[in-house]
Amino acid sequence: MDHCAARAGMGMLAFALLTPLSGCRAAQGGSSMTAQSTMNLPAESAAGAVPLGQLAGAPAETATSLSIANPYEHNPQAIQAGRQLYLQMNCAGCHAYNGKGNMGPDLTDTYWRYGGLPVQIYNTIHDGRPQGMPAWKRALPPDEIWKLVAYIQSLGGTVSVSNYEHARQGDRPGDLIAPEAQAEAQP
Amino acid sequence: MVMSSSCKRSEAPIPVNRPYETGNASFTGATLNSAPNDPPGEWRSQAHDYANTRYSTLDQINTGNVGKLRIAWTFSNGTLGGQEAAPLVVDNTMYVVTPFPDELYALDLTLPGEPIKWVFKPNPSPIAKGKACCGPVTRGVAYANGKLIYNLLDDHTVAVDAKTGKEVWRIKMGNVETGETMTMAPFVVGNKVLVGDSGGEMGVWGWIAALDVDSGKELWRAYSTGSDSQVRIGNDFKPFYDHMKGKDLGIGSWPAGAWKHGAGSVWGWISYDPQLNLIYYGTSNPSPRVPDQRPGDNLWTSTIFARNPDTGMARWAYQTTPHDRWDYDAVNEDILMDLRVDGQLRKVMVHFDRNAYGYTIDRATGEVLKAAPFTYQNWSSGFDMKTGIPTVNPDKEPHPNVKLVNVCPPDIGGKDWQPSAASPRTGLVYAAVFNMCMDVTDNDVSYIPSSPFDGMDMKRYPAPGGNLGEFIAWNPVTGKKVWGVKEVYLTMSGVLATAGDVVFYGTTDGWFRGVDARSGRVLWSQKLGSGIIGQPITYLGPDHRQYIAIYAGVGGAATVHVDKEAVKGFDFPAGGNSLYVFSIDGDSMSNGQSQLGGMDSISKKSPQSGTSEKQ
Repeated sequence: MDHCAARAGMGMLAFALLTPLSGCRAAQGGSSMTAQSTMNLPAESAAGAVPLGQLAGAPAETATSLSIANPYEHNPQAIQAGRQLYLQMNCAGCHAYNGKGNMGPDLTDTYWRYGGLPVQIYNTIHDGRPQGMPAWKRALPPDEIWKLVAYIQSLGGTVSVSNYEHARQGDRPGDLIAPEAQAEAQP
Repeated sequence: MVMSSSCKRSEAPIPVNRPYETGNASFTGATLNSAPNDPPGEWRSQAHDYANTRYSTLDQINTGNVGKLRIAWTFSNGTLGGQEAAPLVVDNTMYVVTPFPDELYALDLTLPGEPIKWVFKPNPSPIAKGKACCGPVTRGVAYANGKLIYNLLDDHTVAVDAKTGKEVWRIKMGNVETGETMTMAPFVVGNKVLVGDSGGEMGVWGWIAALDVDSGKELWRAYSTGSDSQVRIGNDFKPFYDHMKGKDLGIGSWPAGAWKHGAGSVWGWISYDPQLNLIYYGTSNPSPRVPDQRPGDNLWTSTIFARNPDTGMARWAYQTTPHDRWDYDAVNEDILMDLRVDGQLRKVMVHFDRNAYGYTIDRATGEVLKAAPFTYQNWSSGFDMKTGIPTVNPDKEPHPNVKLVNVCPPDIGGKDWQPSAASPRTGLVYAAVFNMCMDVTDNDVSYIPSSPFDGMDMKRYPAPGGNLGEFIAWNPVTGKKVWGVKEVYLTMSGVLATAGDVVFYGTTDGWFRGVDARSGRVLWSQKLGSGIIGQPITYLGPDHRQYIAIYAGVGGAATVHVDKEAVKGFDFPAGGNSLYVFSIDGDSMSNGQSQLGGMDSISKKSPQSGTSEKQ
């Protein structure tokens, strides 16, 4: 899988002649570090079934795709590779070197415009978002996007898969819940 | 929270018994070269005049009564970006523009409550919002031939009919998907409107262009890097200093090909001398912000240009910071003054650069006549008058992966874009400046379209003294500070100078102040609802009363660049979007007797409870 060759023909994200060097170095370096894990990546079609953002009244079947876990979560090598990608793909230029945001939003807090679950962050990187976030699907293979997600998860501000239903309604683990609200939450 | 007035004063004792301190004499003899001004009671361009003085001859509000300034009326525009633009006042109508989505309001000043006449909504592309380094801002609108002309964040320039609010023309100037945006205020010379791009952190190819005021058609474009023909350098080009002489330096002062993404965007102010028929403006930092990736002078970035507005051809250039390693730019305003240096009358520009030097430059030739730091800096150890280049302190040169501490000023500079003002009555220039340093680590970066071409990792904090801001009066003849009002928080507002010898500025924690132009004494302060990064103006209402107007709404570079932890206990204010208009005792068309008269004329359509109880 030669992503460098694939990248040379990209449309909007066409790299200038000089640039594929460091980007490809990053890609190959990142891939080789944890190559054995790439087998277990979630199917791309599953990620594609995830709705955009936190949708009120989303049907139950979307829960399955929302609960897609990041195979690289807590994987130190993948997190390190994700950090390298974060620097080399210029993520830091918008979201700051500490992830606390600048031109782009803070990635270390619990506010996520398009959802803070691992697969939602994956989709945001993959597809881009309307207010300036570039679509990286033509520049980065899924393996590297999941490593970027692992790095962002390591910053501590994301939403865990086990908590996704509650997060959608603004609940945090351990919050008090009124009995009536508890009853309403039951299907 | 507010420092006592004695703390705010300059550390230097204010001298007494000098006529210019208390009387009418000028400190310096400097005069303004401002013709033609906007009409005295109006405000038709961001700087009020070609010379960029931001000086008004109105003097109803003066040192004797400024203490009685009260809020007359307010207006909220509902957006939350930084409110950086000055309102315009033309024919008893006020025009205010918002940050993204760049909406334009016309307010009728002849009616009580200053109601909305029309609003123009251009619907720019939302992509632009995430491409602007320093917030989705605009620095304002220009008025010409019955049209309001301004730049949309998504790289379009638009002209709107001032009477109807209908769009007259719109022209696409660039591709926002590359990271290029437009934030500067257009500047009109005759039938040409001059515009430029933003994106010094995005690896854009910077330019200035002239458009036809009536049709919007592009007449010429001059790039900031590239070949001499692309930069519009020809036989008339006569730079004063040797290192700017040579062929195609916009290519040769870069590593091969690097000029193509070398920035030099044109996002600041433009001024114009009608006698010399030259416009003046500065270009941004080079991209990337990692200097080791672009050895060379990196011409024509961080450079002041003089050009013929008819042809766009360059007359002279002066690079303030060759091979800019700290993101100092040269986009700050150039105020045109005439003054005596060594007994000889010179036509000059006064320029406070981000590199912390205050320059007095011969605007006919580009020769530096004075250059002296106006705030704390340690990146240079002195100024070489022979070469026109500050002497770089090698200890403060960043290199990749090396953390460099205590570099002053930081990228945001000793003063950023916020424009200063000058008074012909005092011969002084007034500026809101910074007192800041940074720790910086450079990181190598690749050019990836649509993403930042940046590489600077910074932490910013106050320079010695602990105050982040200061409001200063500057003598452009001697190159010396006359007095200063220190501010705990950042001072990042424009300045208004008036014939009433009161100068106005605001702070990012929301204080709007009127200061004695001679003594530096704070005569009046009002806390507003958000921090102030706008530009104060003054005008005469239809009631012939003098008003002062300022937007409050912090954002832009003020919030992007200041670490909230920079000052202990610093509780940075939230954004806002309110225009505040002041008058003596708060009198206006909207209250008192005149308001009741106005209500009669509006008739019973909009009865307001409480009206009858007012008198």
